[in-house]
Amino acid sequence: MAIRFVRSPIVSPSRALAARVAGFVLALGLGAVVLGIAGFDPLHLGTQIIVKSLGSRFGLEDLGLLFTPLLLTGLAVTVMARMGLWNIGADGQFYLGALVTTAIGLFIKGPEPFMLVLCFFAGAAGGALWILVPTLAKAYAKVDEIITTLLLNFVALLLVYYVATGPWRDRVSGTTASTGRVPYKMPDFFGSLHWGFVIALAAPILFALALRYTKWGYEVRLSGANPDAAHYAGIPVRRRLITIMLLSGAIAGIAGMLEVTGTVHRLQGGISNNYGYLGVMVAVLARGSAIGVIAGAFLMALILNAGIILQTQGLTTSAVLALTGLIMLFTAIADQFAHYRLVRPQAATG
Amino acid sequence: MDIITGILATAVLAGGVLALAALGEVLAERVGVFNLGVEGLMALGGVTGIIAVTIIPNPFFGFAMALVVGLVFGAIFALATVTFRANQVLCGLALTMLGSGLAVTIGKPYSGMPAKAQFDKVIVPYLSDLPILGRAFFSQNILVYLIYLIVPAVIAFVLFHTRHGMNVRAVGENPAAADSAGIAVRRIRFLYVTIGAALGAGAGAYLTLAFVPSWSDGVVAGRGWIAVALVIFAGYRPFGAVFGALLFGVITALGFVGQARNWPIAPPFLSMLPYLGTIAAMILPVFVWKRLRLSFTAPAGLGIPYFRDER
Repeated sequence: MAIRFVRSPIVSPSRALAARVAGFVLALGLGAVVLGIAGFDPLHLGTQIIVKSLGSRFGLEDLGLLFTPLLLTGLAVTVMARMGLWNIGADGQFYLGALVTTAIGLFIKGPEPFMLVLCFFAGAAGGALWILVPTLAKAYAKVDEIITTLLLNFVALLLVYYVATGPWRDRVSGTTASTGRVPYKMPDFFGSLHWGFVIALAAPILFALALRYTKWGYEVRLSGANPDAAHYAGIPVRRRLITIMLLSGAIAGIAGMLEVTGTVHRLQGGISNNYGYLGVMVAVLARGSAIGVIAGAFLMALILNAGIILQTQGLTTSAVLALTGLIMLFTAIADQFAHYRLVRPQAATG
Repeated sequence: MDIITGILATAVLAGGVLALAALGEVLAERVGVFNLGVEGLMALGGVTGIIAVTIIPNPFFGFAMALVVGLVFGAIFALATVTFRANQVLCGLALTMLGSGLAVTIGKPYSGMPAKAQFDKVIVPYLSDLPILGRAFFSQNILVYLIYLIVPAVIAFVLFHTRHGMNVRAVGENPAAADSAGIAVRRIRFLYVTIGAALGAGAGAYLTLAFVPSWSDGVVAGRGWIAVALVIFAGYRPFGAVFGALLFGVITALGFVGQARNWPIAPPFLSMLPYLGTIAAMILPVFVWKRLRLSFTAPAGLGIPYFRDER
């Protein structure tokens, strides 16, 4: 009469969500225990997070500023996930978007609205350019995109570090770790929150609509679900793969552009703030749904914001990174557990 | 001549980190599990090694403790990916975040201090007197000999010359067939993923006890990812991994030499070399050695969780 676990291949959304919440709570609980042992008061920290991030206007502004890039990097990873591909290089593409934007800001003069539009497209082009080699390698030589996109993050990081501390470093204020100020600025609409937020919020919605209502979107969905079938149906799978990867890079590049023109206003070493890697987590939370990216990015922004508040309470960024990893691990496991159902064998057969 | 010996000596030392981590990843991928957590495991191993030698100043103790920590985190990763069959890419990334975050948090008080003990050179008599190659290959610390010869030889022997090794490879190629043949798929996967993770952590301890030798935030610097990429380059073969690691050791050493000799290239660009080299090494062979590629393909079951009830 042993109780058995039976795996069902399909999971209802409510079960999936319940498992997610359970995993999330477990990860937080484990983190709280570790923090408790380390001499922190988890309950006090928890209230601080909620009060400071959701209870004040400044808290909400900060939340919005973190939300913006995460929406885009999360979408960038999700876009590729629709074709069964992993973009672990959104960090590098983000850097390139920021780099190109800074180059325009430092060296080209023009009317602000026009320059912002130029920066937008240049940032997108920079991100797309950064994923070009992994894209071609994937499309024509089946080279694993996980590693190629990822390794380029390190190259981008070094490149940005080089220009920010070398040829483009700020000679006016004397700081050696960043470039001079970029004169073009996204206008604000809520405190320090800029219109980039609206662009970032619109992006997943636009992508979801394109996926659902255009022929291109249909072909992408079919190619992602079953490449062989799509190929036999006459869909140019390779071309769709190339466009989707370049689109992914462009979206991450736009995130970098918005970060420079909207939030940081200059190029510096740590400007990506791990948004690219966190985008992977957002995509995981979103389970491949473009609209889900909005919810995933919001949760991730909350966690990040919590991390900043925890830093004021004496915790380090690395501790927050570890906690994020823990949450991700538990989420991955919870997603599997959602498939299982407890079955009591019938008395007659037992 | 001196400069070539210098480059080779540094290359062997630098390549050892990648070789050990890549050997661990070969084990995991041979049984069908893609472990993207190597970077985090290396960070954990590195910090463990440093803390251990601060308590007992013996490099072997530090290295052993790193292996133990690697076993523990490897078991957690295997529990998630093999037992619970959670998504391998996600769990790997999670392990990297968790490991790197933990390592930096725990390692804060030890940051920047020189290691309290490190691996000394073991000079092989006669061979070390060889011109050019002698000092580079036969005047290194004990781990170098282990990593370049003993460990890959043992792995290659077990994988390719024993019945058990055949079972191991079968688990990675076709878990369903292996299962029907009575091979304990999950047990073998669990075991090899865990051992592989221990080697990854060991590579971290090698980094902080023999190569650098100290701990600081960011000391791993993406070497874990390069090790993962090397496995593909190596065609999932132990000696291929060692050879590839040596090649990247040379690239790293060239960067060092360039900085030391003030080549007219900015240091960040020299630091890019290993990453760009890895990408080139992943793409070029596909076009150059098309025929060879066929025997270098990944185990067919790689990355796919095995569900007996959905066979």
